[in-house]
Amino acid sequence: MPMVTIDGRQIEVEPGTSIIQAADRLGVEIPRFCYHPDLRPEGNCRMCLVEVDGFARLAVACATPVADGMVVRSPHTSPQASQAVNGVLEFLLVNHPLDCPICDQAGECSLQDFYMHPDYGLHKSHVDPAEKVHKRKRIDLGPRIVLDAERCVMCSRCVRFSADVSGKAELQFIQRGNHVELMAFEDRALEDPYAGNLADVCPVGALTSRDFRFKRRVWHLEHTNSVCAGCSTGCNVRIDHFQNHIERVVPRRNPSVNSSWICDEGRLSWQAAQGGERLTQPASGGGYPPEIRWSEAVKAAHELLTDRGERPLAVLGSASATNETLLLLRRYAEQAHSEHWLDFRLAEEVQLVGEREDQLLRRRDKHPNTLGAVYLGLAGARGGLPAMLEAAQTGEIGALLLVYYPPLVGEESAGVAEGIARLLANVPRSVVLTTHRLPYLQGAALQLPVAAWSEEEGTYTNFAGTVQVVERAIIPPGMSRPATAVLADLVEHQVYRRPDADAERLFAELARTVPAYQGMDYAMLDSRTATTYPPEGRMHYGQEGFAGR
Amino acid sequence: MAKKASRVVDVRAAVDAASGPLQEAAGTLAGMEVTLRNMVRATVERKHVTIQYPEQRKPYSRRFRGVHVLTLRDDGRLKCTACYLCETVCPAQCITIEAMDVEDPTVEKAPSVYEIDLSRCIFCGFCVEACPEEALIMSREYDLSATSREPERLTYGISALTQRPEIAAYGAGFRPHMDYPLVESYLPSAVPGPDGRAKAKK
Repeated sequence: MPMVTIDGRQIEVEPGTSIIQAADRLGVEIPRFCYHPDLRPEGNCRMCLVEVDGFARLAVACATPVADGMVVRSPHTSPQASQAVNGVLEFLLVNHPLDCPICDQAGECSLQDFYMHPDYGLHKSHVDPAEKVHKRKRIDLGPRIVLDAERCVMCSRCVRFSADVSGKAELQFIQRGNHVELMAFEDRALEDPYAGNLADVCPVGALTSRDFRFKRRVWHLEHTNSVCAGCSTGCNVRIDHFQNHIERVVPRRNPSVNSSWICDEGRLSWQAAQGGERLTQPASGGGYPPEIRWSEAVKAAHELLTDRGERPLAVLGSASATNETLLLLRRYAEQAHSEHWLDFRLAEEVQLVGEREDQLLRRRDKHPNTLGAVYLGLAGARGGLPAMLEAAQTGEIGALLLVYYPPLVGEESAGVAEGIARLLANVPRSVVLTTHRLPYLQGAALQLPVAAWSEEEGTYTNFAGTVQVVERAIIPPGMSRPATAVLADLVEHQVYRRPDADAERLFAELARTVPAYQGMDYAMLDSRTATTYPPEGRMHYGQEGFAGR
Repeated sequence: MAKKASRVVDVRAAVDAASGPLQEAAGTLAGMEVTLRNMVRATVERKHVTIQYPEQRKPYSRRFRGVHVLTLRDDGRLKCTACYLCETVCPAQCITIEAMDVEDPTVEKAPSVYEIDLSRCIFCGFCVEACPEEALIMSREYDLSATSREPERLTYGISALTQRPEIAAYGAGFRPHMDYPLVESYLPSAVPGPDGRAKAKK
């Protein structure tokens, strides 16, 4: 294995690794625009120039593979490399409009960050602002993306994403020299279902997200790591929120699940969770009592579910619930005083769980935790919703506890919605834990409001069996509480002892009792330890940037 | 250690001995020395120290940091481009901005909501200093009050920050670049009242 020395520090890497990858692993920052870990290297921006012993000229770190015994000096230690990078950056800024105060990228812009670093920037431009070449601004590229050609640094990350990753090849450069401009053919709207990623890969403010446009300056945002609940792929995301309101969702790099990408449906799925009419207080029958305390609501739910004679208790979970919720749900069912019927299937989730919708990320099962429910043994022999409905119509079911989350991507299928409505109509003693006021849940005897995605902590098991942590980003609206807390209250009424509703402790119990999770540790799964790209904490403002002036 | 011997003093007796009608009158006059001196000066030399506020007002410095003004372009639109720098720098977090797209292709964005909660504002002027376009300056309006704490009373939106006649009546206050001449057309036009001052707001 080649041993390479970068800025006096040694690291052993696999053959074929580029210098920039070795430097990233060492934590040595090498500035870059065109390099992206999940795109093929192109070496066009010349920002990653480094000095290599034995080379006659500077080399681009992104496209030069390491060799054994190579000694590399970055702009931090090599004055020659620093001077070269400085010149490259000045050239990249020649036609840049410098409109940072009104640019959405400001605060997470590579141009800003690198210019403020004394080893790469802080130079005085030789260009008269009046001589700048002006290009087209505010070009509409469809429902996801707005293009500002003036801000572009021609790194071609978007071109390569479009050509190699999503395969749509909708973007290309036209003209040459000073007048190079990014363009979609005839300015047509992008048809790419992954177009939102273009705004993420763009290191400057040329491609911006229409959804997030002008909404919030990025330095106001708080970040929470989470996992998309739009389908069974389980893409790693970061929720950016401000004052208890989600502003945007961006992908987090995880090479084994979603690389650096996410589909547009998943990116916007927070709107389904936060939008619509949320259930904000317990509701009985079709009406909504003006005020009811949680203690009264849980007591009413307990009475509804237990006064059922010797007829069985039906418990229908959800493949959108966290593993922790399903664990408590299973415990509630198993401790019922008579026979119970526990399942989670509404339709064909289990058959669809691994089936691809396209070649990149999307899967046809629109539930984040189908496999988790299967591992917990919720897929019983008696069948899910259709079988339960049949039994209910002959009066075989005494009471029903339903946990239901509407899908975050797409609408609930008409068959499932009708099936739930008919099930609730046939079982007079029914308690529903849900997030939204939905017409097909109005037949329930009691509805309890629970936290939606991004409002509770827990784990999801994706299509491949990877267990991932979702963290709580915002506070649930109104009286809603996490489903684990509500179920813990119900279990307390059942056995007079309240189980732990804390996600970490519940997961510890899962790791002890469920074979699929044997030996897993919540702290180890914690998304806070997952990698992010670009690396966080790379802001130079207020650090050495100002001292260098 | 032996306790130090102490003397007992009858405070009341001491006060009684030192006071009488004459002493009290003298003491009162001594305390009013400054007042009396100014009274004599005001009557004899006609030099008044107090003014009849609110009918009369004193001029304040050009750098006075009073209620904010959103300045205007030549065509009457706001100069503000909703860059949020004032909101970012505000230590009291009293500025709320929401941006929108505009028709004009030469303008990137404009505020659809611009609110300053003046009941939280500490009038430090950081927002004015942060503004790169002199879109936000301060006026010399200082007497700001409301009879309740309802947010709408002292939370001024775009219309109040541009169209209240008081702003022009008091004149412009703190601006970051005082060496540049003030473009008077920035300021909203005033409707002067009968006494030459603007009408009080409703």
